[in-house]
Amino acid sequence: MPAITVDNLTKSFGQTLALDDLSFQVEEGEVFGFLGPNGAGKSTTINIVLDFARPTSGDVSVLGMDAQQHSRAIRHRTGVLPEGVDLYDRLTARQHLEFAIQSKNADTEPERLLERVGLVDAIDKKAGGYSKGMAQRLMLAMALVGEPDLLILDEPSTGLDPNGAREMRKIVREENERGATVFFSSHIMEQVEAVCDRVGILRDGEMVAVDSVEGLRDSVEGGTTLRVTVDRIDDDALQAVRSLPDVGDATVEDRTPPTIVVTVDGSKTAVLSTLEDRGIEVRDFSTTEASLDDVFQSYTTDTGVHAR
Amino acid sequence: MTSQAGTGTEPAAAGGSASSSLTLESVRAIAKKDFQDSVRSWLFWGLSVFFFTLMAALAGFIAWAEPEELTTLGFISLISQVCKLVIPLIALVLGWKSIAGERETGSIKVLLSLPHSRKDVLVGKLLGRTAVLSLSLGIGFVIGMLAVAFAVTEFSFPAYVAFLAMTILYGLAYMSIAVSLSSVTRSTTMAGAAMFGVFVLFYIVWNSIRSALGLLMRRGYIDGVSYMTTTLTGQQREMTRLPDWALFIDMIDPGTAYQNTITLFSGLSGENIGTTFNEAAFPNGLPFYLQDWFSLAILLFWIVVPLVVALYLFDRGDI
Repeated sequence: MPAITVDNLTKSFGQTLALDDLSFQVEEGEVFGFLGPNGAGKSTTINIVLDFARPTSGDVSVLGMDAQQHSRAIRHRTGVLPEGVDLYDRLTARQHLEFAIQSKNADTEPERLLERVGLVDAIDKKAGGYSKGMAQRLMLAMALVGEPDLLILDEPSTGLDPNGAREMRKIVREENERGATVFFSSHIMEQVEAVCDRVGILRDGEMVAVDSVEGLRDSVEGGTTLRVTVDRIDDDALQAVRSLPDVGDATVEDRTPPTIVVTVDGSKTAVLSTLEDRGIEVRDFSTTEASLDDVFQSYTTDTGVHAR
Repeated sequence: MTSQAGTGTEPAAAGGSASSSLTLESVRAIAKKDFQDSVRSWLFWGLSVFFFTLMAALAGFIAWAEPEELTTLGFISLISQVCKLVIPLIALVLGWKSIAGERETGSIKVLLSLPHSRKDVLVGKLLGRTAVLSLSLGIGFVIGMLAVAFAVTEFSFPAYVAFLAMTILYGLAYMSIAVSLSSVTRSTTMAGAAMFGVFVLFYIVWNSIRSALGLLMRRGYIDGVSYMTTTLTGQQREMTRLPDWALFIDMIDPGTAYQNTITLFSGLSGENIGTTFNEAAFPNGLPFYLQDWFSLAILLFWIVVPLVVALYLFDRGDI
């Protein structure tokens, strides 16, 4: 049984279409990275999963239950770290956690939860005086109350320094090892690649790719970019390079001496030998691996390398 | 349950949203948290100090003036004049941001990420804020009592406690209006405008209605009801009063309803101050909706109706 099933989900706000026939599944026990630029519809999706917002059409089921009909039961077994929300300024971390513990009928000590997120020193300080990072840690602790089966973390690294982000990923792994499914949204690829089993990329309300991190890397042309500086270039040679099986695209940068930019998946030497076979002198060449950021870019923008 | 997957083409899911349920534990948890939160607010203590000062000044003045034969109900009706005007202000200010504010800062998602329904949030907020208001009222009433108790001949503690309970009920009515309006507005600005609207409606508009109706009656647009009464000098005089329906309109104001219920305590204090309306003016008997117990019903109406409407609206749509 999948932890989250989103089926043909559409959500419009007046004339604006926020989600367009979105479908995907999060499998039980996996860490799923929900990636997309700001405004892609990530929060809208999470809002519907948690019944904060109602779909225009389509179905969402969470932990095998309908997201609208059984929202309370779902949220009883789900830990949520909402994005961009304020805490209660006048209440302490302890009071926040006691409220969450009481709300979930859980049996946890506030101290233990705060130890995990590294906030135990501030347990009796009012949240009004917290930094963004401290507030984020407290909200993560609240999400962990009651050993939830599903964790929904909306942009959890917001406000965290690199060290805090690392600790957060550690907790995600620990929770996953305990058996929890983790649904993790972010607009930054590198934050999800380290922890996620699978990644879904959302763009303009549509899922443009769902795959493992390696799978995504492979799916993008320009896994490697080869730059070859030559003495001259002609159309014939360029066509020959383009027709090579491993080559995705080849363009010429207009300068002297000319540089050919080739995206390749496999053999680079084939490109070089094809050029040399046609009497073109290779003066210099370099390769660059596509970073995951390029992968993300390729799916979420119209420019740059293209998804196949 | 898993069979639901794949039925996404069914249009049924589109419009029909599940109405949420109300759970006692959730309501209690939210009310408790809201109480903890609001009781620490400077705004609340500012309003409370204002109220305490008014009570102390009023009671102190009464004690200093030492009017002859000041009864408990006499004292209560003096205090009720102040409460009638001040409590709506405190309630509206306290309730203003209760839900709209949480929507604006997003902290409502903290509440709703936990297994609470939207109805739990609404009712819990109402009870939490009313508890905070009641705390302020309780302290204010003790201050008033300490200052004046010895000036009153045979101070009736039960009547005073019953009056406090009725005052809390009055506060609850305004809090219900405030929290309900706060839940159906999307921003604190809109909520603030709504609070101001309520203030204008009951402080200005409603108070003018009675005078307006009286004017219309004297001009002959409304048929008044004539009756005979005995003046202080023992003469019989014909008087004219507004018709029953016009009097009823005046009674709908929560403040008027609150004051009218005070006569209900005459049994508790052993005094007889009669009823709100002069019985001589109603030769055929007082219609039930003008009797004092009906004012209690009106007060309950103002608690229940805004809440029920808000429960319905808040449950629909997006947060």
